Amino acid sequence: MSNIKFNNVNKSFGSNKIIKNFNFEGNDDEFLVLVGPSGCGKSTLLRMIAGLEKIDEGEIKINENLINNLHPSKRETAMVFQSYALYPHMNVYENMSFGLQIEKKSKDEIKSKVSNAAKILKIEDLLSRKPKELSGGQRQRVAIGRAITRNPKIFLFDEPLSNLDAALRAEMRVEISKLHQKIKTNMIYVTHDQVEAMTLADRIVILNEGKIEQVGTPEEIYNNPDNIFVAQFIGTPKMNIFEIKPEDVVSNKIIKILGNEIQFNKYNIEKKKYYIGIRPEHFDIDDHSEYEFSPKIDLVENLGNEKIVYMTKDKHQLSAKISSKSEIKNSFKFSFKNIFIFNENGERLRS
Amino acid sequence: MKIKNIIIFSIISSLLLLSLISIWKILSTLQGVKLDNLNFQILFILGFLVTFLNVIIEKKINFLIRLFIFSFIFIFIDGYLIQNLPFWYNFGSFLIICLFFNKLKKYNNDFFINEHSTQTIIFDFLTLFGIVLFSFVILFPFYMMLVTSFKTQIALLVNPLDFSINFNQDIKELFKSYFVIFKSYKFGKYILTSTIVSLGTVLITLLFAIPAAYAIARLNFFGKSFMSTSILIIYMFPAIVLVIPLYTVFSQLGLRNSIFGLLIVYTATTLPVAIYMLQGYFKSIPKELEEAAILDKLSWFGIIIKIILPLSIPAISSVALYVFMIAWNEFLFSLMFLDNPNSFTLSRAIQYLSGDAETPRQYLMAGSVIVTLPVLFIFVYFEKYLVSGLTAGSVKG
Repeated sequence: MSNIKFNNVNKSFGSNKIIKNFNFEGNDDEFLVLVGPSGCGKSTLLRMIAGLEKIDEGEIKINENLINNLHPSKRETAMVFQSYALYPHMNVYENMSFGLQIEKKSKDEIKSKVSNAAKILKIEDLLSRKPKELSGGQRQRVAIGRAITRNPKIFLFDEPLSNLDAALRAEMRVEISKLHQKIKTNMIYVTHDQVEAMTLADRIVILNEGKIEQVGTPEEIYNNPDNIFVAQFIGTPKMNIFEIKPEDVVSNKIIKILGNEIQFNKYNIEKKKYYIGIRPEHFDIDDHSEYEFSPKIDLVENLGNEKIVYMTKDKHQLSAKISSKSEIKNSFKFSFKNIFIFNENGERLRS
Repeated sequence: MKIKNIIIFSIISSLLLLSLISIWKILSTLQGVKLDNLNFQILFILGFLVTFLNVIIEKKINFLIRLFIFSFIFIFIDGYLIQNLPFWYNFGSFLIICLFFNKLKKYNNDFFINEHSTQTIIFDFLTLFGIVLFSFVILFPFYMMLVTSFKTQIALLVNPLDFSINFNQDIKELFKSYFVIFKSYKFGKYILTSTIVSLGTVLITLLFAIPAAYAIARLNFFGKSFMSTSILIIYMFPAIVLVIPLYTVFSQLGLRNSIFGLLIVYTATTLPVAIYMLQGYFKSIPKELEEAAILDKLSWFGIIIKIILPLSIPAISSVALYVFMIAWNEFLFSLMFLDNPNSFTLSRAIQYLSGDAETPRQYLMAGSVIVTLPVLFIFVYFEKYLVSGLTAGSVKG
């Protein structure tokens, strides 16, 4: 049982403010994924938890204990690095037991802990090898194993899969997911890959420029984005966002979208600028959606099971993801429930 | 295209053969062969024809047979028809030609079809030329030194330019100079002093340089960039500027004629470069390794001992080698600071001997050989540690 709490955390490098007033409360033993574009401060946040980066202002608490001034080794966290950071001059066993040996644990205890971790990760027959004799996936397994032997309250993963190739990444993703089910403890996982975020997380924290954009389960994030940034960050291809000019607002309940006059009863719409978002997968050809428009088709990418159609309508660049079986005609449909409206600041209109 | 490539190849390779044979001829004159003329033109034409024909008939005749035919033709014309030279000379040139043909093996007909083969040929042979000339220039003085040390006083006086070694004499007689310098000139003591000074310098320098280099590479402190640049500026000071003030200071402190004084000066002179070399290497060690070590509850001191040092063995051994060679060969400071023969280092002892007109030259040369050999052996032994790549596999790769 462990959880983490951030209280007004600030961090800057020189005059560059990386983390701005970060507040967050984690649940017990959840798999938390911090995701965001590069430079958004997600790795810095992780390194602050680990103690590799000083906390300028604010508090970080693990299980209600303040860890700000604790030495990294006393925070009971374990970190898995993107570059694995295995000690090249030691074999796998030595790598995994190094921390325990420094703590001067008994030989039997070290042995049982290492073999237990090796068993979980299925690296028992690699224990006498040097890191350079291992493949990328094996190295990352060893790095995770090293973290397990430390028996931490919180696992910290710093983009652990981004050095692996696509197939191995998918495999390791499943492994990490299983690992969390096996050793139920808090894991904080930093990535810029939205697929990893969606598949692994209990909750996702989306960061941008040092601030939280949205926190929620993967479903919430996908179905109910708070703003344009979140809406566009999750989902491939990214959500179509296009501008609605004040003259397209017909009345305080009706907006003209892609040639259709659509009635919104829940919102009070003023004569202002708005942004409309529709996900590419919500454009369709064959089904019986309410609204229709006929764009100019620019390009079709066939991915085998689906097609991505790039098109232009009223100077808006749009994309649509449709089944590869459907035949492309000059008309696309969309339905009312899949329309997201954002105000001119990019925030979602809520009723 | 092809014929042009072959001709260029033949010209270049015959030039190489020419230089090899010429060096062999020069060396053999040292062994007493009388040569009036090196016959460059004839050798060149001969070499050209041999290499050219070698390529032309490549497909028809087996390599070994070709090798024997051509080398016999070559030796017959060069060593028998033009000048009647002794058998050992011809055998030597036969070996050289065998070696040469072995190098030519890869340049077969398929090779010349490639359009860019001219470039490959030119570069390959330039490196070969470089190796041959360089080793000749390096090895020749050493050879002279070695030969002189094996001579007797009479032989030296009779013919100072005779560079042959008389292997017929008794072993004891041959190594007489070496026995003498150890017995009458106390070279054993000088070697001991030099070893203590050099190893001491290595140890002290590393002791200071490793933490200093680590600090410059990794830690942030006030004046760090100034420190790291000023390190090399210290090195730019010529030693001769420092010698005289140091002489007066050391005289007053009673550090003249002491090994301790030398250790201080040598450490001071080698430290800047040692720090500079080490910090460059330390910077190349991935930072994540140290962060992982911090999370493994290791202190800064522990990180240096358990992580940085094992990974830096190549860099540390090359620094140690460099420092050792500097200290072993150092002359200026030992000349100034050491007056008492009891505390002489090797280089100072040799200078002392040569200053004395009575000392026979072969003893001096024997002493020089003794100075040179340890450095040579250490270099050969340490060479395997100098190969870097120990960090392979730690991070992505």
